[in-house]
Amino acid sequence: MSVIKAILVVAIVAAALWALRHRENVGLRAGGRLLLFAVGALAIVSVAVPDITQKAADAVGVQRGTDLVLYGLIITFVFTSAGLYFRQRDLEYRFATLTRALAIHQAVEPADLTGSIPELPDSTA
Amino acid sequence: MQGVLTELRKTFSNVVAVDDGSEDGSAAEIMKAGAVLVRHAVNLGAGAAMETGLAYALAQPGATYFVTFDADGQHQVHDAAAMVALLRTGEIDVALGSRFIESGEAQGIPRSRRLLLQAGRRFESMTSGVSLTDAHCGLRAFNRAFAQQIRLKLRGMAHASELLDVLKRSGLRYREVPVTVLYTAYSMKKGQKSINSVNIAMDVWLHQLFSRRAGR
Repeated sequence: MSVIKAILVVAIVAAALWALRHRENVGLRAGGRLLLFAVGALAIVSVAVPDITQKAADAVGVQRGTDLVLYGLIITFVFTSAGLYFRQRDLEYRFATLTRALAIHQAVEPADLTGSIPELPDSTA
Repeated sequence: MQGVLTELRKTFSNVVAVDDGSEDGSAAEIMKAGAVLVRHAVNLGAGAAMETGLAYALAQPGATYFVTFDADGQHQVHDAAAMVALLRTGEIDVALGSRFIESGEAQGIPRSRRLLLQAGRRFESMTSGVSLTDAHCGLRAFNRAFAQQIRLKLRGMAHASELLDVLKRSGLRYREVPVTVLYTAYSMKKGQKSINSVNIAMDVWLHQLFSRRAGR
């Protein structure tokens, strides 16, 4: 592996770490969405002009156009998965907070003789 | 479980039991034992259940010391009482139970589980910077200062690791206290599978990697 490749790999990893740490940054999120539009436009162009991926690959020194597309796909996939992972975790935390508030609201104290066991929601519904 | 709660109530007057959305008779047992029943509408896992219990306890005026105690019978009430007594001296803010510290005991612990817990301990001291002889003991006691800082985001048993992270950042004084943990057939059945340690390690590692500056 040539030195430039090693540098590129390190740069990608560093960029990924940085982006994920600052995932709440508005500018970054906006950038991500603009990128999505750009990728969509590129997809249309590459359907209309199939040779263009090969030309792009030649320009950056990748052997085949399909490889270039594959690299892009992998990077997109990694970022998307990581983003979804964190979003899901944040949602889970909100969900836990909500359930906690409800549970404390419905807490039954031993002295409270009229208290009845809080019902669980019907999970089959 | 009712027996565990009844036993606890002999020493501690305020006992909060969290029913983590279970459909068996847990809620009724908690009420019979005379503990406060806090019931999650859905299952959220051990860490979230602990935080709920603490949130309830923190809301009670006059609550000064807080003990987390597993309801499956693996912990001893006198160990918990000793920890609170230690807190009362004001020497420390957090007391953590340990099975492996000198004079601590893990009765009936399978050899594989012992090895796994030791590996977990090394992983823990590497990732959190808090060096303990037992990283995943559910018996702990602490004061209000620490209880207020506990916000757990990791699901499942990774909360024990996350708790150490909170402890380190809090800068509070802690000490490990020898405790006896009974490995009964019941606690082994209700407890976690060893393979889950892979999930724990992964969660903790990702959390450490990405959540430093993003805040919680």
